[in-house]
Amino acid sequence: MQVIDAYWGRRALDYVDAIEASKTSASVLSQFEKMIGDLGFHAYIMAGVPTAGQSLQQTILANGWPRDWFEMYAKEQFHRCDPIPRHCVSTLNPFAWSEVPYDRDEEPGAHEVMTRAKDFRLNEGFCVPIHYDDAVGAVSLAGEKPNLAPDARGALHLISIFTHSRLRALARSAMNNQSRRLSRIEAEVLSWAARGKTAWETARILGVSERNVRWHLEEAQRKLETKNKTATVASALVNGEISI
Amino acid sequence: MPEIHVVRKDNRALYEKYFDPYYRLRHEIYVKQRKWMALDRPDGREIDQFDTEDSVYLFCIDNGRLIGSMRAVPTLMPTLMSDIFPYLNLREPIQRPDVFELSRIFVIPERRGEHAGPRVDMLLLTAIMEYGISIGLTGFSIVLETWWLPRFEKCGWKARPLGVPHMMDGMSVLAVLVDCNETTWKSLCTQIGLTRPTLTWQGLEDVSRLALPDIFLRLPPAFQPAQ
Repeated sequence: MQVIDAYWGRRALDYVDAIEASKTSASVLSQFEKMIGDLGFHAYIMAGVPTAGQSLQQTILANGWPRDWFEMYAKEQFHRCDPIPRHCVSTLNPFAWSEVPYDRDEEPGAHEVMTRAKDFRLNEGFCVPIHYDDAVGAVSLAGEKPNLAPDARGALHLISIFTHSRLRALARSAMNNQSRRLSRIEAEVLSWAARGKTAWETARILGVSERNVRWHLEEAQRKLETKNKTATVASALVNGEISI
Repeated sequence: MPEIHVVRKDNRALYEKYFDPYYRLRHEIYVKQRKWMALDRPDGREIDQFDTEDSVYLFCIDNGRLIGSMRAVPTLMPTLMSDIFPYLNLREPIQRPDVFELSRIFVIPERRGEHAGPRVDMLLLTAIMEYGISIGLTGFSIVLETWWLPRFEKCGWKARPLGVPHMMDGMSVLAVLVDCNETTWKSLCTQIGLTRPTLTWQGLEDVSRLALPDIFLRLPPAFQPAQ
């Protein structure tokens, strides 16, 4: 039987109880920043893993990266060679940045990202992949010398998953109050679905990947709170967000 | 559509022929595929100390074939969480008449993913909620692989963590307590398009059951009749 110090575990449970009672994203995020700060992390991002042809910005749920780092990351399109999001797709378990394999010689881009991150005191990080049926997201945290002991990892895993899902739930209810909710590309993908095109066919028509199309369908479904593609198309038609 | 049968000590005789394939399927899935080698037995059947006469099983049966299942153990009896993984629960131990612990939740590989009807895993998650409401439960404790949590959240299962995730045989697992209530059941029924209860209570006609709420398909706002 494993016996480990439960201090961080109890802190994490109290944290989850507190954010479940919080009513705004801002309040959830300020508690999140305090909690990860106590574990030695000063930066974070919660986002989908961008697929080919998808911009990083449209997948972001919460952005707590240093502003200059994020601007450089987006401008240089670091997500294309960053080994961290790539690793998220291939594992169900959380991992430290330093545990992610990449070939320094074969993948100079990957080495560049990991090196430049250190300029922003992002020396080491902890990443929690979030897997849905047809989409992958992640919560990634970083700091100078963060606590990555086994009990801290368990706590970080727990707070990351519950923060991600609480923010999604709060975003969903906020979305409900807006009249037009879909992005242009989501509406376009749904319009093709309304004409009977499969994700693969839509991907061919729009010249993007099938995974990308599925991501937009998933996002549209999340925003419209529907249960499958048919219901999403029906809802979007009724709301006037697409037409055929 | 597959049928979901409640199987417990009072009607087990009717389902005796399913138990051998059931234990063999568990061996196939948990020992051969997932490599939980502690469960390995030379007879190729995976049976543990929680398969007692107090355990309740949901058998998902399609054309006479077992295609998925779930086990519910009363928390007043020994459970995985109380006896094997007590360190996964940092809160109070759960030993209550109104909470059962779920385990061995599986769908055979060829019936996973999208199909013509409701997905079998969703059907099982909905059916156990119906069972819980019917016999007056308020919650289910579960030790599960952590990566399932976002899917639970998406399908409306409200899970409260009881402890933090631990790595076990290369996979992160944690303990949660899930609410069993009418709201969750109705939301699941709407999601998978069920308009009536799904459980078959064969041979359990004498069991007293609480009433289930009415379920109906909600119409989109534009088509709701004016007040």
